[in-house]
Amino acid sequence: MRHLLAPLFRHRLMPLLVVLQVALACAIACNALFLLQQRLKPMLVPDGIGQPNHLIIASNIVSRGQPWETSRMRDTERALRGVPGVTSVSVAGSLPMVLNARMNGRVQGVGRDTRADTAMYIGDHLVKTLGLHLVAGRDFTAEEDAVQNHGVGMHQDGPAIITQSLANRLFPGQKALGQTLQLGDKDPAVRTVVGVVGHLMRNDFGDGSQRNLDNVMLFPGIPSSWSLPAIGVRVAPDADPQQVRKQVEKVIQRMLGDGMVRGIDPSYDMYGTLRDEALAQYRASVWLLAGVCLIVLIVTLAGIMGLTAYWVQQRTRQIGIRRALGARRSDILRYLQAENLLLVGVGTLLGLIAAYAVNLWLMHHYELPRLPWSYLPIGAALLLVLGQLAVLSPALRASRVPPVVATRSV
Amino acid sequence: MFAYYLELAWRRCRQNVSMMLLVVLTMAIGIASCMTATTIFAALSGEPLPGISDHLYVVTMDSRTQGDADDEPYAKPQSLLNLRDAKALVDAHRADGQFAQAQSLAQVSTTDGKQSDRVVGIIGYGSLLTTLGVPFRYGRPWSEAEQAAHAPVVVIDAKLAERLFGTSNAVGRSVSMGTGTFRVIGVTAPWKSRTQFLGLTQNAGSPLGQDMRFFVPVGAALDNGVGPLNSGKCAKGAPVVNFQSTNVAQCRWIETWVSLRTPAHVTTYRDFLARYAQAQHQAGRYVHPPQAKLFVTQAWMDRLKAIPGDVGLNVMLAGGFLLLCMVNVAGLLAARFLRRQGHVAIRRALGASRRHVFMQHLVEAGVLGVAGGLLALPLTLLGLWVVRMQPVAYAEAARFSPGAFAVLAALSLLVGLVVGILPAWRVCRQPPALQIKVA
Repeated sequence: MRHLLAPLFRHRLMPLLVVLQVALACAIACNALFLLQQRLKPMLVPDGIGQPNHLIIASNIVSRGQPWETSRMRDTERALRGVPGVTSVSVAGSLPMVLNARMNGRVQGVGRDTRADTAMYIGDHLVKTLGLHLVAGRDFTAEEDAVQNHGVGMHQDGPAIITQSLANRLFPGQKALGQTLQLGDKDPAVRTVVGVVGHLMRNDFGDGSQRNLDNVMLFPGIPSSWSLPAIGVRVAPDADPQQVRKQVEKVIQRMLGDGMVRGIDPSYDMYGTLRDEALAQYRASVWLLAGVCLIVLIVTLAGIMGLTAYWVQQRTRQIGIRRALGARRSDILRYLQAENLLLVGVGTLLGLIAAYAVNLWLMHHYELPRLPWSYLPIGAALLLVLGQLAVLSPALRASRVPPVVATRSV
Repeated sequence: MFAYYLELAWRRCRQNVSMMLLVVLTMAIGIASCMTATTIFAALSGEPLPGISDHLYVVTMDSRTQGDADDEPYAKPQSLLNLRDAKALVDAHRADGQFAQAQSLAQVSTTDGKQSDRVVGIIGYGSLLTTLGVPFRYGRPWSEAEQAAHAPVVVIDAKLAERLFGTSNAVGRSVSMGTGTFRVIGVTAPWKSRTQFLGLTQNAGSPLGQDMRFFVPVGAALDNGVGPLNSGKCAKGAPVVNFQSTNVAQCRWIETWVSLRTPAHVTTYRDFLARYAQAQHQAGRYVHPPQAKLFVTQAWMDRLKAIPGDVGLNVMLAGGFLLLCMVNVAGLLAARFLRRQGHVAIRRALGASRRHVFMQHLVEAGVLGVAGGLLALPLTLLGLWVVRMQPVAYAEAARFSPGAFAVLAALSLLVGLVVGILPAWRVCRQPPALQIKVA
């Protein structure tokens, strides 16, 4: 150990620069990787939608002056059902990947304390139109879907279908079916869980909702007094979705065109396209962060290599002496590797502390979640391997120093 | 002497080209990433209207008269007010300038209907145009008398005037908006704020300002079917949210801004506002304690997170990265300088002082820094181009400016010198005798 440490203290500049560089790289890489994972999350969570390219979403159907009348929405729905190739139509307050209208609330089991931040989709025939997979209970009945909502339908009694993850959160270890829910403890309205679906993604995935992307409730019935509805149209598997999309556009323009806000055009997209667009920003930042991590690692690799090469060259004579005194090539190689491990280890340790401090600061300023502990060993391992890679070539060169060098230039 | 150092630096660069390339490239990447992130940050931060918005304050209070359907607690300050309150505050004339405003989206056409355009503009009350400093090309803003009489007058911008009438001097002509005909009394130069700060509650997600093509007084607008794009929150019984509605008497949809030039004025106005709100509460009109507050533009934008957090995060990331590159280059330069200890020792022995040796190496580092800066210029342009290709709301902010070029030049020289100090100091400390012996 002493022969490992002594040279480091004799020439302090080189080891210091290696340690500093590794510490910085570690702090940056840990935080960038963590941000990367945050941005990646909405892209990886299963959205629960069946056959995304056979689902048409019409959104931005904004009413002018006053909200759409429910009867008018029902007429439109009926007309859409008449389009050949359409199997199911939903008129909803909002739909997955429709980002301009969101209904969120903190929901809790009646008489329970656990609250969960949850998105709501209120509309008729949602399970069928969205192609959701029921894992327990039943779909809403025709009578339940025909209900006349007061307002949007958030604050009234009735049935609800919730996602598995919400069920697990609100009723851990129990069956969710038959349980009752309310939106905050002051709201008198109570919803009874009649069904559970496997997955469904909420339509707000900012930093605040990252932990509960899969918390969703479905309520039946067309929202009334609502100016920003979204319409979902399920296309039969054997029909051409683009053909149907054109028909849907025509029908909606014919039925609702004269009541729309002038200057805002509705959009008619396949769900798959809408999803790509909604997540585009996340994809962009994933690429950016991945690029940053890669460049940080390359720069660090080059830096350690350059420094070690010089550091080894400077000690060529000492290495020659040691070889002359009986050290084998593998001894020299292992000595340099151990030295690198020590330096990179110290740097990593400092870097991890810095990474944590930076994360605390970011948490305070940008509402980021806490850096999970699991990132620290991953970051450390990454840099230690990187260090070993960087030292390999200079160390091999050093181990080939012939003992005779020791006798020269003295 | 300086020229000699430059020549020495040049010779050395040619001796070890790969090492020099690595140093220059590392510095260039670090500088370019930092420049890209800060260019975007600079475009999105700072005053949205330089010299004006720093003394503009928005009025916030809990002015709910009957409570909303779900009667939420007043968790955040609300800037949207009922028109009645906005008018009362503006008409009181207690500030250096005051106006109420809401955004509108309207179809504006010539009276014969041949030319028309759908454009975004402002429905306003009070000294909107003068307080915001909107530059006029022709004509004038509306007068108090016109405002009080609900006279159908409008101010449009030069671009809309040219689109409708083929000339920017459209004063005296008439346009159709909503259900009425408005007389053009003024034409402004195209005007927008650098970043969005008016009506932030209804403009989330679009940080850059957009051109406001028309300005119309609120009385005439509502009379003639031109309503705000979003009618905000309405009292109990009225529908949730409406668009382009003129039936807004029960709604809170308009923002009040006041210009207060000195801290004393701010204090006085704050007192006036508190008294006004408290009086409304005591009269039974406001159901909740009003909690009236003033926010200066910047504080209001921070509060509503008008600038996406990503922008700041990227600056942090790029700054950290530049630091890493600098440490890296410092290491490489140290190795490079110390390899030539022999040469230094000979120069020292021949009479060069430590200061000379230090200067010589610092010049070399500076030259490499400038080379890095030169290479960073195309890399920055590339980085900004990549950002513009991204589907982010602030993509348009990623434009290289001449100011940024000066910053880049200064930054690269600074980076080169800072990075060179440590290695140069290290190499000039070598005692000459020992080195000559080894060499």
